[in-house]
Amino acid sequence: MKTTVPIITAFLSGLVMLLVFFFNPEKSAIGRLEPEVLSWVTIVGGFTLLLGVVSIVRVNYGAVKRRKEGWKYKIATLISVFAMAVPAVISPRVSPLFGTAPGSIYDWLFNNLDAPMMSTMFAMLSFYIASAAFRAFRARNAEATLLLLTAVTVMLWRIPMGEIMLVKIHHSLPEIINSYIMNGANMAVQRGIIIGAALGAAAMSLRIMLGIERTYMGK
Amino acid sequence: MNILLILAYVLLFLAGAFLLYMAFRTDDRRFIYLSVAFYVIFPVLVTLRLPTSISPEAKQLYDAVEALPDSSTVLLTFDYYPSTLAETEPMSRAALKHLFRKNCKVLTMTTVPLGGPSIAERVTREIAGQYGKIYGIDYVNLGYKANYVAVLKGMGSSIEAIYPTDNSGTPLSQIPMMKHIENYSNIDFIFAVSDNAIVDYWISIVHAQYGKRVGAGVTAVSAPQYFAYLDAGQLAGMLGGMKGAAEYEMLVKQPGSAVKGMTAQSLVHLFIVFSVIAGNATYLAKRKRRGGEKA
Repeated sequence: MKTTVPIITAFLSGLVMLLVFFFNPEKSAIGRLEPEVLSWVTIVGGFTLLLGVVSIVRVNYGAVKRRKEGWKYKIATLISVFAMAVPAVISPRVSPLFGTAPGSIYDWLFNNLDAPMMSTMFAMLSFYIASAAFRAFRARNAEATLLLLTAVTVMLWRIPMGEIMLVKIHHSLPEIINSYIMNGANMAVQRGIIIGAALGAAAMSLRIMLGIERTYMGK
Repeated sequence: MNILLILAYVLLFLAGAFLLYMAFRTDDRRFIYLSVAFYVIFPVLVTLRLPTSISPEAKQLYDAVEALPDSSTVLLTFDYYPSTLAETEPMSRAALKHLFRKNCKVLTMTTVPLGGPSIAERVTREIAGQYGKIYGIDYVNLGYKANYVAVLKGMGSSIEAIYPTDNSGTPLSQIPMMKHIENYSNIDFIFAVSDNAIVDYWISIVHAQYGKRVGAGVTAVSAPQYFAYLDAGQLAGMLGGMKGAAEYEMLVKQPGSAVKGMTAQSLVHLFIVFSVIAGNATYLAKRKRRGGEKA
């Protein structure tokens, strides 16, 4: 039962979405199924978010209760989850501080804590990249040298100071990089990746629909 | 250019070179971190405006928006997380300025739950205020709905079925602007600003299946993959990273944070390039020395 019901659900959902693609939603009953199924999908998607919140609370609460390593950080996680979620879910009719509108607690926390913290985390990458550039990017063989030269050229091409330098070497060097690297080698490789990924996605969809692929059920 | 400004930047380069030398001497990566911090903070304090050339893909996007008749309806997406705000927010700001200047009706939405609706609300209200635009008449924020593939597909049949209310909970049926917007057929252009692979879906679902023109603003790291779509005509134009944002700011003649940020980005890129060269020079010298010792 635990396996059969999800497989049948996945098969029917996939089949409906596959069929409705070929029918006019205004002229056929099958076509009219599309908005209905898509509304269901967004509602189910909303519940998965709720499931995520329940899961994070359960896991972290358990770790705090058992005083596992780093339990103090997990308290911070739990406080953060509730501090953001509780004021956001209370109706703004109670007070303008609730809800997610500008001026609400949620909005203030997001703009003044969450956003700067996420930006900071991402910005720290530049320090690691600079350090790695100095310590690890080595021209050990022909392939690595080619990669290194391409990376350096593209990095210079993407900045005004670098562009000035490239123009000094040859007036049409920036256009050459655009034509031969970005619109040439890069585009050819990207096309291969896009086509490969699309074929892979189609094959994976079929595997899920036919019940061959069951990892989404945790198997 | 001011001589003092040039002198300040020369000193900055020398300081960076000294720190790189110290990093090499002591093998302490903190000197490198310090250099990067210098190169990021200094241009914010001492502004140096660098000439930014316009790439063909940014010009294409600008021309596509410019070619829209006045009062067209444009869907502008805020598909990005706060971590990439430095690259993506200037794109949204420049796009809004361009669209409001053309008196376009702007519909905003996001497929990113973490912050997307708040960013859209904050940025759109601020720019709309500058152009005297009124919420509900000139622009509407739809907010976020889970499962982006279903959202993108569902909006092709009925926007109201997917978004019964706007971001603040007002039913769409009560919003004047939404009375004439039922689905993609009432939208003239889609301007997707994103830091993830959602642009692929805007192209493969909305452009391919509903024939809507899509333009994109993406982060520098994901820009290379969209050249194939541009070449195939599936993307009307593209902005890549902070450089793309700066280009669009220049095109709409509203230089902002991206144009300002290009100096810091230039300095850090140059520093990384010099680090690669210095690192490889020492590596080759060591290898040569080792080879000599063996012989």
